[in-house]
Amino acid sequence: MTADIATSTLHVTCARDELAAALGVVSRGLSTRGAVQVLAGIHLRAADGTLTLAATDMEISLRAAVSGEVSDEGAVVVPGRLLADLVRLLPDSTVVLRSDEGDRTLAVTSGSHSSRLHVFSAEDFPHLPPLDVPLHTISATGLLGTIEKVARAASRDESRPVLTGILVRFEGDRLTMAATDSYRLAVKETELGEAGPELEAIIPARALQELTRIASTSETIQLGVHENHVVFNAADVWLTTRRIDGQFPNYRQLLPETFEVELSVPREPLLDVIRRAGVLAQRNAPLRLRFADDELRVTAQSQDVGETEESLSVEYAGDPLEIGFNPEFLREGLESIAADRVELKLINPLRPGLLASPAESFWYLIMPIRLAG
Amino acid sequence: MGAPSTHSPNPSPSTRPPILAHLDLDAFFAAVEVLEDPDLRGKPVVVGGDPHGRGVVSTASYEARAYGIRSAMSAAEALRRCPRAVFVRPRHALYRQYSQAVWDTVGQLVPRFERTGLDEGYLDLGALARDVAHARAVARAVQTVIRATTRLTCSLGVGTSKVVCKVASDRRKPGGVTVVPPGTERRFLAPLPVRALPGVGPRAEDRLRAAGIDTIGGLAALSDVELAALLPGSVGRVLRDRARGIDPRGLELETEPVSVSSEDTFERDVTDRKTLHAEVRRLSEQVAERLRASGLAGRTITAKLRYADFSIRTRSTTLSAGVDDAATIGDVACGLLDRGLRERPGALRLVGVGVAGLSPYRQLSLEA
Repeated sequence: MTADIATSTLHVTCARDELAAALGVVSRGLSTRGAVQVLAGIHLRAADGTLTLAATDMEISLRAAVSGEVSDEGAVVVPGRLLADLVRLLPDSTVVLRSDEGDRTLAVTSGSHSSRLHVFSAEDFPHLPPLDVPLHTISATGLLGTIEKVARAASRDESRPVLTGILVRFEGDRLTMAATDSYRLAVKETELGEAGPELEAIIPARALQELTRIASTSETIQLGVHENHVVFNAADVWLTTRRIDGQFPNYRQLLPETFEVELSVPREPLLDVIRRAGVLAQRNAPLRLRFADDELRVTAQSQDVGETEESLSVEYAGDPLEIGFNPEFLREGLESIAADRVELKLINPLRPGLLASPAESFWYLIMPIRLAG
Repeated sequence: MGAPSTHSPNPSPSTRPPILAHLDLDAFFAAVEVLEDPDLRGKPVVVGGDPHGRGVVSTASYEARAYGIRSAMSAAEALRRCPRAVFVRPRHALYRQYSQAVWDTVGQLVPRFERTGLDEGYLDLGALARDVAHARAVARAVQTVIRATTRLTCSLGVGTSKVVCKVASDRRKPGGVTVVPPGTERRFLAPLPVRALPGVGPRAEDRLRAAGIDTIGGLAALSDVELAALLPGSVGRVLRDRARGIDPRGLELETEPVSVSSEDTFERDVTDRKTLHAEVRRLSEQVAERLRASGLAGRTITAKLRYADFSIRTRSTTLSAGVDDAATIGDVACGLLDRGLRERPGALRLVGVGVAGLSPYRQLSLEA
């Protein structure tokens, strides 16, 4: 998008609030690593009565547009954070952005205020994935609801890139997403009501979480599929994201076929117990769940901090069973479920446990923490 | 004997006074900047704020101090005193990495120490030295090893209490060792200006000087009544005790291991990525073995890179669960090494692998 206008001239007048909102959205695509300076910049391009804003960290890109009075067409790259912070605070409801030939600065004028920001060379800004792909319209609630249920199970550890992504599969009108950080696995199936694109891709969880922010008030989201990336459009914002190469773990194989213990537990009370106990499970200490005589007792203790104990009545008649879980993993699983009751299935203290909500087609598998002694 | 067991206090340890040392890196921030940019060597370097604005001097190199430039002076004043001084903005993230390297080195020699800042801390030499004369040799050894591994110099003060050590480490900078034998503490402190005593700030100094007390000895000699009038409350008594060389504070030690790490210096500087990865994996195995031996797993993994010019970079990441297996630690550490080399390419003379955020719990994994 930078090919046609590469000079550093630009002169545009636009509404402050509209510009501030667009900068706020687009600046989330800025690179947070300082290695490549130009990636900390927002690309501004004024043409045809529109100011287009773009930012990328080479994994995702965000693009938005605001209408403006363009006196001089052109493009510049401005330090993104700086411009976003400044525009929000400007005194007048209109803003003039101007950069003249040979200038290495962008003048920002609004009412009594004027600033000059040093700019990066627009030629150094990377080419962004094209947006001219066939688009499919998808229900926003279906897509975002699915993302929200699985995204937290994705890994943040970049040494295994595949696990930082969410497996996204459209088959007919059914959407399936799965994410795992190798300690837990979340799977959600959703009926979209109409057919989506044919797609099976690993998409960075970060990109999909960004989409939930952008499209939070949208009814529909448009989706386009490229060989190497995916394009989303919602609320007049374009989000592109790289597809992650590699083989996603076969999640069906990870889900055990049979369990020794199957319980139905009221979700909200269990979540409350887990949240309270979690306060005292510090420095990676596990929550201990002990099942015996129709009672679930949850305990936690942290050295030099203290200990906690709380019971919940459940239908359990088997041999006493004690299993340890990371409180955060348990909490996030329970928070992803909306139903009043949750199915809790266990095998033994060293095998995975499952939280399931069949009505929501949602499964959340967690590996335990080995308890000493 | 059949005597009923009663809970009695531990028998009092030997009455030998403790042997402590205060270690203070010399012009630390400036020294790191010189290490990072050898062109600065021999020049007056001022680390701090903008000399054309309202900046303040954080650290000045010894060349800059020759012009009377001091910490906390305005940078503009520093520029006036030495127009050819090189002004550098502080890079605290970088100083933390060098500081960690120094304290890792100290830890290999002195098992008990307390870090009180990036560039200073207290060492317990009691287990290593039989007397203060011997402690001087240990202090010299600490200096030598720190200089050899990081090219940074430091000064040490050796004595029987924190306050005496802290004052002593400042007496012969840079590169000095000052030993204050037991029984001579009060005599050592007495002639020094009262402001040199840790705990005496500008306001206490003003009050003492207004009363004609300029030296630590003068403060030490105050009667209870005089002290209560000048510096009321417990602060006054603490300061007078310190002025007399009395300081009951012990070292605050970390009780549990904070991290497990392993590093190795190459015989020749290495650029070949395969060789570096192989070494990182070998170190990861050592770290994993030590973690398992102590029943610990850690969430934060660090790779350390020391370049041919002795500059240091560390890169860390925190996982969602503790790990203790060599393969995972190796994968993550190799990724961090690659990231470090992407951000700053160059031949390495040392690589290191560390695991922190330790706990005794083992999160099982799905593929296992």
